[in-house]
Amino acid sequence: MCKALKAMIITALLSALFVISAGAVEVTDINSLINEAEAFNGQSVTIEGEALGEVLERGEYAWVNISDGTNAIGIWMKAEDAESIGYFGDYKHIGDTLRISGIFSNNCTEHGGDVDIHCASMSIEKAGYSVKNAVSQTKTVYAAVLLCLALAMALIYFRSVKRRKGSSNN
Amino acid sequence: MAIPLITSLIMSEWNPALDFVISISVSAIVGCFLMTVGRKTRRGEVQVDWKYGYIIAALSWIMLMFLCSIPYLLSGHTRSLLDGCFDVMSGFTTTGLVLTQDLDHISTGLNMWRHMLTFIGGQGMVVLALSFLGKHIGGAYKMYCGEGKDVKLLPNVKNTARSIWKISMIYLLVGTLALWICGMSIGLSPLPAFFHGLFMFESAWSTGGFAPNTQNIMYYHSFSFEIITIILFVLGSLNFGLHYAIWQGKKREIIKNIEVQSFFITSFLISAFAVLKLSQTGVYTNAVSSFRRVVYNVLSAHTTTGFGSIYARQFANEWGDFGILLMVIAMLIGGSACSTAGGFKGLRVGIVFKGIVSDIKKILSPERNIRVEKYHHIKDYVLDDPTVKASALIIVCYMVLFAITTLLGTFYGYPLADSAFEAASVSGNVGLSIGVTAASMPAVMKIQYILAMYLGRLEFISVFALFGFVIGGVKKLCVKH
Repeated sequence: MCKALKAMIITALLSALFVISAGAVEVTDINSLINEAEAFNGQSVTIEGEALGEVLERGEYAWVNISDGTNAIGIWMKAEDAESIGYFGDYKHIGDTLRISGIFSNNCTEHGGDVDIHCASMSIEKAGYSVKNAVSQTKTVYAAVLLCLALAMALIYFRSVKRRKGSSNN
Repeated sequence: MAIPLITSLIMSEWNPALDFVISISVSAIVGCFLMTVGRKTRRGEVQVDWKYGYIIAALSWIMLMFLCSIPYLLSGHTRSLLDGCFDVMSGFTTTGLVLTQDLDHISTGLNMWRHMLTFIGGQGMVVLALSFLGKHIGGAYKMYCGEGKDVKLLPNVKNTARSIWKISMIYLLVGTLALWICGMSIGLSPLPAFFHGLFMFESAWSTGGFAPNTQNIMYYHSFSFEIITIILFVLGSLNFGLHYAIWQGKKREIIKNIEVQSFFITSFLISAFAVLKLSQTGVYTNAVSSFRRVVYNVLSAHTTTGFGSIYARQFANEWGDFGILLMVIAMLIGGSACSTAGGFKGLRVGIVFKGIVSDIKKILSPERNIRVEKYHHIKDYVLDDPTVKASALIIVCYMVLFAITTLLGTFYGYPLADSAFEAASVSGNVGLSIGVTAASMPAVMKIQYILAMYLGRLEFISVFALFGFVIGGVKKLCVKH
């Protein structure tokens, strides 16, 4: 009886997990979208990636470029959604990781044949941050030594040129 | 390297600033050593023969490739010295292919360096040296010719070099301003808009193809930005002699010049066929997308710029063999002689085409008739057999280089169409990619691509002179021992 109960509980748990995983949104990588563009054209897709550069506002809407490491793509979204993004990736920042769901276009007629995603929903999965680039001590030492060496060599060279000029004038 | 160093300091990018201090120091040490070795030539005590002019030009490019790759290597954005050298050669030759990793997170200083390389490479390193260094450089004209430039805008080669820089600097101001304003109007903030404007100008004018972001021109999602870059790269692909003639008030030169005629005929034909084919196959069905995705890429290929308004794999997946072949032809023809563009040049295509027509006419006309064919390039020239032969010879050299590079690609397992596309891109110094160029590709292919970019930019003769010189030296050594 006890065994049967255990088996039932395990089966119920597994079934619940299966239902949850079936309901989870499948994230597609950007390179797959581009490589199989024809198949994905007009389909609803979900991608996840880092917001790059900055928002390119165009009236009520805006472009946000995102990269998932395999490639980068432009997302056409409402300007108010774009404003909620805190960080955009550049040299000094790691951008927010966004999860975007929307319609993928292989040849967007609204945007002159662009390959893009028109955003239906957006969420920030991971907040970005400022990168602290500490000054490398090794580089500082190398830079100082090499700079001194270069200055010394330049000084010796120009002195010898000057001396030769002086002797040829005499 | 002073400009990227200052940029890094202004932008508070301390590690890149140190990278540039190290690079400047190493370059200065090597420079002092070379100036000491070549002091007699510098003083004009040694006669520089033609062959040495060519060899100096060819060697200086190799030396600079290594020195200029130091900031790349120190930045940590390249996987190896070879990848750094690849990107530097790609910049110098205004090709625009990239092996640098994570472009979206590189510093403004390094971006400034990348785009300066392509801008300086477009005008020519020897041209830069002649313009701003020393009062007298022995064999200046021979080195100038060794860099693939033979037009003399003014009687003095130094003044010619300065005129080339003057023309470029005026366009730099106007072009950057136009792209800056356009950048702000499409949503960029003022400071990033300025840097994007400057970088994209340098790339467009020098027909380079580098961009500060992975997505290249697609980052901006803007028709107006694309139109400005088209104007700039078409202007950049025209002969400096033509720019100078127009500035001198010879406006009819635009219509009469054989290179301009050749460029517009081939551009029109290739664009028309590409648009027709891609609309037939249903890839681009409306006029705006056809212009932005087809004509833009054809012009970018023909001017050897390499800005791509579609993803690399779209060429392979959507354009089909016919589209790829059209792009290969456009990339191989390239822009004008003595411009920032690569390829075997419209002037040579025009001369060979006229030569063929002239031969046919000769065969068909009575034997007593003596026909003198002429072509117009800044002034009228007689179309004689040596001119046609010299042009045909360079075209043959390009075709051999293209064939060898394609063959190597297929040897490593890439499809023929992909190999041919990439080979045309490197041989013609274009920079468009179909997806072959990647940090993971075989090292032998990277070396071959570097060689192809180098040979294509210097138009073979200088590099052949260098090879001959090295082989001659080795032979002498073998005989001695």
